[in-house]
Amino acid sequence: MSTFLDSLGGWLLVVLVGAPLLAAAVLLAVGDRVRDRAAAETGTAVAAGTLLVAALAAVGAAPYDRPGTGLSVDVAWIPALGVRFHLGLDGLGAPLVLLTALLTLLVCWHLVRVRPVAGRVRGLVACILTVESGALATFTAQDLLLFFVAFEVVLVPMWFVVALWGDDTQAPRVGEPSTPLPGGENARRDAANRFVLYTALGSAVMLLGLVLVALRTGTTDLAALAYAGGAGMSTTTQTIAATLIVLGLAVKAPMFPLHTWLPPAHTIAPTAGSELLAGVLLTMGTYGLVRVAVPVVPDGVRAIAPFLGALGVAGILWGGLACLVERDLKRLVAFSSVAHMGFVLLGVASMTPQGLQGALFANVAHGLITGLLFLVVGGLKDRRHTADLEGLGSGLRDRLPRLGWLLAFGAVAGLGLPGLAGFWGELLAIVGAWNGEGALGPLARPLAVLAAFGTALAAAYLLRVLFLVWHGPNGRSAAPAGPAALFAPVTVGDATTHEVAVAAPLVVATVVLGLLPWLLLDVTAPIVRVLLAGVGS
Amino acid sequence: MSAQTPLHAGITGVQAVDPLALAPAIATLVTIVVLVLVDAVAPAAARLRRVHDVVALTGLGVAGVFVAVLGVTASGRDLGPFAGAAVRSTVCVPGGGFVLPSCSFVVSPLTLTLQAVVVVGAIVCLLLALDGPGARDRSVHHLLLLATVTGALVLAGSRDLAILVVAFETASLPVIGLVALRRDAQGAQGAVTLLLTAVASLGLLLVGVAMLLLATGSLHLDRIAAAVGDPTLPDSVRVVAVAGTLLAVAGIAFKLSVVPFHLWTPDTYAGAPLPVAAFLSVVSKAAGLAAVVVLLGVGLPALGDAWSPAVAVLAALTLTVGNLVALRQTVAVRLLAWSTVAQAGWVVLPLGAVASGTPGDARQAVAASVGYLVAYGVASLLAFSVVVLLARHHPAGEDHTLEAYRGLARREPVAAGALGFALLCLAGLPPGLVGLVAKVVAVRPLVDAGVWWLAVVAAANVALGVAYYLRWTALLVVRPTATPPTWRVRPAEGIALGMSLALCVAFSVLPQVVAGLVPTALR
Repeated sequence: MSTFLDSLGGWLLVVLVGAPLLAAAVLLAVGDRVRDRAAAETGTAVAAGTLLVAALAAVGAAPYDRPGTGLSVDVAWIPALGVRFHLGLDGLGAPLVLLTALLTLLVCWHLVRVRPVAGRVRGLVACILTVESGALATFTAQDLLLFFVAFEVVLVPMWFVVALWGDDTQAPRVGEPSTPLPGGENARRDAANRFVLYTALGSAVMLLGLVLVALRTGTTDLAALAYAGGAGMSTTTQTIAATLIVLGLAVKAPMFPLHTWLPPAHTIAPTAGSELLAGVLLTMGTYGLVRVAVPVVPDGVRAIAPFLGALGVAGILWGGLACLVERDLKRLVAFSSVAHMGFVLLGVASMTPQGLQGALFANVAHGLITGLLFLVVGGLKDRRHTADLEGLGSGLRDRLPRLGWLLAFGAVAGLGLPGLAGFWGELLAIVGAWNGEGALGPLARPLAVLAAFGTALAAAYLLRVLFLVWHGPNGRSAAPAGPAALFAPVTVGDATTHEVAVAAPLVVATVVLGLLPWLLLDVTAPIVRVLLAGVGS
Repeated sequence: MSAQTPLHAGITGVQAVDPLALAPAIATLVTIVVLVLVDAVAPAAARLRRVHDVVALTGLGVAGVFVAVLGVTASGRDLGPFAGAAVRSTVCVPGGGFVLPSCSFVVSPLTLTLQAVVVVGAIVCLLLALDGPGARDRSVHHLLLLATVTGALVLAGSRDLAILVVAFETASLPVIGLVALRRDAQGAQGAVTLLLTAVASLGLLLVGVAMLLLATGSLHLDRIAAAVGDPTLPDSVRVVAVAGTLLAVAGIAFKLSVVPFHLWTPDTYAGAPLPVAAFLSVVSKAAGLAAVVVLLGVGLPALGDAWSPAVAVLAALTLTVGNLVALRQTVAVRLLAWSTVAQAGWVVLPLGAVASGTPGDARQAVAASVGYLVAYGVASLLAFSVVVLLARHHPAGEDHTLEAYRGLARREPVAAGALGFALLCLAGLPPGLVGLVAKVVAVRPLVDAGVWWLAVVAAANVALGVAYYLRWTALLVVRPTATPPTWRVRPAEGIALGMSLALCVAFSVLPQVVAGLVPTALR
């Protein structure tokens, strides 16, 4: 098996990145003759194949306890800029490659039975597959500028997903039927534009930092840059580069206070879009921090680490407080994403092995748990055209037990209950921050304490949701009246077997990673040691 | 080297003319003569309309072949086709003693690249114009277009101030006639606006050139470079040289639509026939950049500390004003006009990073500027190709708004795909990789020289540009409100669209073409 994979070598990675892109191009080219169901099934088949290739590549790249990438392909691309088409898979990228491939498969499979509120499925599947290709390229790119190009690939298709397939129908909230919420094409366009403008600006700023690194070191090879550990750049240069790169990535991560694009985009996006945003795009931002910021300009990152850590903790607290009062369930999950990413940022800022490990773990856990939550909440919103917490969640376990249980599971996992995946990342990030005096200075312990308080906030807001789901009045007696009746539920039934089957892999993965965290920690530990070697703490 | 080279040397010296060096320009000149002859033989024969087209296209094609041949002969020693040193020089005056001969026309990689942009742009614009309202009078249209191209081709190789000014005017004045060919009130207004700007700019350019001559005593750019690079140059003379440089740049800037010399752009683009607007945005802009880089990069790198900050301010203004106004446009051609203003900012952006005045910096900046021009040129040609097609099939004609593109992807998937690709190239987002790499190339010199304020302005403008290019792209795929008739694409338009699409795709797959335009020395 291993020799077979070795003979395939890096071309497996080219297939991994190229296959979804090619399938997307074909889907776009065939025109509207393809029916929705067939398009979704094609997407599912391609995504399943990609997941298989990803699994093969992950096996082929093993073992992960040696430096360098197990699989790689390396071709000259733009010699004038020193850019190579260099893809490689190592312990840092492998978990995220698998997560991306899995989420894409689930999203496509979900579309086989559940149609989006607006638009044709063919284009949506093409966009999803393009996003997958860009994300996989980002997680395997071993060249600074190739990483940037791959990072940018997801922008336009994701913009289309929000702007064209967004769910803009907004029923009035329970209790205030007279005030219609902003909706319609403008709401979609607004959310999509905000997403793309924030991210494009962030990317442009990041590009300046990447170009500075490439000019001063004379190479764009990520392995060489990590090996040099910032050698050849003065501390000032490193600080400028780190500020630019981190600012750019922080928009996508997102870091407080640059997160304001995220709630509208998550809320408007169709279920598939929210899942990809949460599980793939956000992880790209934090992955970038670990891949192109910490090892490449370690002194620079150390210089700005206190700010990064403080803003991460601010995100944890802000997200938690917002969730305490948020009435829209989708926005609530979006704000909890901001809080989750705060832990990741804190872990990165600590620049300790535990912190970085925690950040990577929390990244994957976030993808699984928030992916599940958006699946459930999206399913609820599709049924009622509203995501109002009290209208939807109240007494959910009574009315729709399957969705109720799934939502409860997602909420419990999201608050970081020990035994589930969300726990380990947050724990390690807090431990890393506690030990992170090297980078965080005197702020290390206060930040760790505040972050721990953030977990209590998470418990509070998610228990609020759970309470409503479990004990709230089930609202059977109160039929919707007034404008709400316009949005009479399309399907009021409980989750179908199909929907449960789509959610099941996420639930299983959350439990498995919660009980057997070393499955992931053992993969990331060696690469984290390599990345932090240049830090010399 | 003495700054006091006698003026008459250029007149009395032995002048060796190398016809091959001038071959591309000679080809277009001969074509003009043939066109005049054809017109004289049969002035009004409808049968001969196609003869005019064939003659003009053949002339441009032959010019393109000569550019390619010169490029291939240049590639003998070096890596890329345009990576070699100077190939040929002609119209030289002998030096004396240790003074090298100075040539008025040099075929260098820089020359060839600019000439390639001009020829390709002219061919595509001519193909687009053949059936349009601007080319009803074939002979006049083709003559004016070829005259402009001749001027631009000579301009790219000119290395003395006199030829530079003459070639610049040859590349500017016929365009005014082209704009007026629409023959309606709007066209006349556009032509008059352009005429007034061109004449005022000519004055500035002449005064600037005269002051440079006064300060350095030479018309040849290599001798001027040596004179202003001389550390013993008195400050009083230097002031005159700097003033002359800035005035000359101001005189050239209108051609690039650099703010605040851009005011003619929207009216003229809207008034001109669309293919002429495309011609203005690619060929005319290439000629303007040729004049700027030849004058500043070849002749005056030593004064970089004076002109580079000025260019930096102009670039920042151009980017910001162009993009902000473009955000509010609804008429397609006006949006394109303002977007070309913003793109002009990107084109001159790298020249804002030569403050150190070393030849290496100037070379890097010029390479980046020309590289951006190549990327912008192909993307702009592609966008205009689709806009011309739509204008022919839309009741509002050339004044159609962006709403005309609603749902285009459902009726004309190929054209919509091409336009979307072109817009993403201009915005610099994947899949438009050529635009993305061009932006990397353009900001590199700024980051290298540490001109951070300008780099940040450029980064902010990326986001501004994305806003309106994506707004347009989105309209292509939304549900259409009405179903207009399907298009009947004529062969010439199909070839133009195919050519520019092929170039855009090829450069996106191999961005080395845009990034690798680094000549070994600026000549």
